[in-house]
Amino acid sequence: MKASPTDVLTGIYYIDGDVAAGYGALAAGCKLVAGYPITPSTEAFEAMCRMGPQVGTVFIQMEDEFGSISAVLGAVWSGVKSMTITSGPGYSLMMESIGFGAMLETPFVLLNIQRGGPSTGVPTKTGQADMMQSRWGSHGDYELIAISPDSPQEMFDYTIKAFNLAEKYRCPVMIMSDECVGHMTEKVVIPEADKIEIEPRRFYKGPPEKYLPFSPDPDLVPKIAKAGDGLGLYITGRVHDERGYPVKNEEFKAKYVRRLVDKIRLNKDKIIELKEESTDDADVVVVSYGISSRVAVKGVEIARQKGIKVGALRLVTVWPFPDEKIIDLAKKVKAFVVPEINYGQIVFDVARCCHGQANVVLIPHGGAGVHNPLDISDAIESAAKEDKKIEGVVEFKTRLEKIVFERGLKFKE
Amino acid sequence: MNSIISAFSKGIEKSGIDRKKISMPSDVPFNPDVVKALGVDYFQIPRGRAIAFGTGLKLGNPSLKVVPVAGDLMTLGGNHFVHGARRNMELLIICVNSFVYKKIAGKPIPSTQSAFSPYSTFEEPFNFPHLGNSCGAIYTARWTALHTEELADSVAEALHKHGLSVIEVLAPGPNYYTDIDSIELELLKFYHENSTIKNNEDPKNVAIVPDEKIIVGKFTDKERPTFIDSYNVQHSKILGDKFTPHGGKNG
Repeated sequence: MKASPTDVLTGIYYIDGDVAAGYGALAAGCKLVAGYPITPSTEAFEAMCRMGPQVGTVFIQMEDEFGSISAVLGAVWSGVKSMTITSGPGYSLMMESIGFGAMLETPFVLLNIQRGGPSTGVPTKTGQADMMQSRWGSHGDYELIAISPDSPQEMFDYTIKAFNLAEKYRCPVMIMSDECVGHMTEKVVIPEADKIEIEPRRFYKGPPEKYLPFSPDPDLVPKIAKAGDGLGLYITGRVHDERGYPVKNEEFKAKYVRRLVDKIRLNKDKIIELKEESTDDADVVVVSYGISSRVAVKGVEIARQKGIKVGALRLVTVWPFPDEKIIDLAKKVKAFVVPEINYGQIVFDVARCCHGQANVVLIPHGGAGVHNPLDISDAIESAAKEDKKIEGVVEFKTRLEKIVFERGLKFKE
Repeated sequence: MNSIISAFSKGIEKSGIDRKKISMPSDVPFNPDVVKALGVDYFQIPRGRAIAFGTGLKLGNPSLKVVPVAGDLMTLGGNHFVHGARRNMELLIICVNSFVYKKIAGKPIPSTQSAFSPYSTFEEPFNFPHLGNSCGAIYTARWTALHTEELADSVAEALHKHGLSVIEVLAPGPNYYTDIDSIELELLKFYHENSTIKNNEDPKNVAIVPDEKIIVGKFTDKERPTFIDSYNVQHSKILGDKFTPHGGKNG
């Protein structure tokens, strides 16, 4: 299905990542945005408030993040596409309903412009420390999809993709961007509507009396319905059978929750998108995502100038994790270098997939800034020189950490 | 609960509204058979989020009649209630006040003083109709599980109101008690002896106070633009032809 021409703001823009994501949501056909403003995601909400009413998209500033995500879920069950936008503390508040949305197999999109944490952290500066939270934040077993764009153009493109994935797999999709990408201003090209592919909702079209809201198609994803269609929906966050009726026994739990997890795991190949460069004959592969992948480009370039064979693997889709790709590469390379703006999150999944076949180096960053490309090139260089196998994750000592911890840092009086 | 559900069903019947168009987000678990009998769409959602979820349903499809049934209304759902009333979102909130948190024996709750806690409670409770009224709700009423006719009339009336309506229903929480029949009967007798109907009473005078008669009745019935009305007016004023009003007349 093609995008509706009224939803697409075709043109060439010079806008930031937040605004581009907002325009992407409109193009994808998002008809309700409910949010509670929080730095550094506010511009996305503002963009949708400004342009939304002109393309028939309703916005509402809810009383809090609980309300925002609940309204989004309600809107989806009323039959429209919907999303919410948040960051840091707001994301933590939304965890309850993310699990609820996954349990109800509700297709919605959540844009998280990550900021420095924990807690209030550094609201105006960047971070990538919500990655594990996006995967494990809500209680219980569930799977969802998380993607990590690295430019304003990608914020537009991947917001549309996020909506498409949500509809296709009936699951929450997180856009795990960060402050740098959100506030980065670049050229964004919004094509004509007929160039934008939109995944329609998998509505049930059979006889009402035969509708089973949680009876899966062969790809494990069930057809969805909307309120008001006379299907007598019974939808609950409790473990339920195909009718949606609550069940307590372990057999049903095994059957239902297993499918909830499997519909993502077994469709992984179709979901995951990676950008791979020169990994074929590489000694070292840099694994990165979001803004860190932009910085890594420079680090890789410097290392190549020194004659090191280095490849780059960019995780556009972070969850589900591309296990097979890492397992495959681990057999061929000496080491993986993982720069991320946290003290180790995705790096542990890289290590998990390595099975000790390659060394794994973390280049940490506490947030409120991005990596120094020289740290990345140095880490690549030392990983390439390292001949012995080292167990676990090796932490690279960055220039910043040396300044802070070796020379000492005092607060300004 | 059974008497409330039948009163609610009767209310829908009286209102003449198509049951298929009614959505009921609720943090109170309902038996699937009950929902089937009611003929509505039902969503059991996390505690306290019925109003917020209902807001999404209504904004997504303004032709729906959304009836959030709230148990944890003034605790987890307090902020959603206050703001829902402020923006006059078109919802009919049925607040079931059972005096206890269902299944959790003896926890004092913010809606009443006579909680069944081991040492009673000492906190000041909310006066729902007064709170709703002062936040901007256009319709407030309170009935008990005994006043099924009046409750049905209120439901029928409120379903046609454009804005946020709230009906507080005092009802025993039967799951808490071991002998359901005897306690239901006992409580119904209690309601009979201890309640008095005072329609149009100023909501600030209707707080439930121990050892005083419970005042029931319809307290607020007024008109005020809904959220969708105001949304349309504001954007039409500024954007003119660029704006297509949301939801048409149903909003």
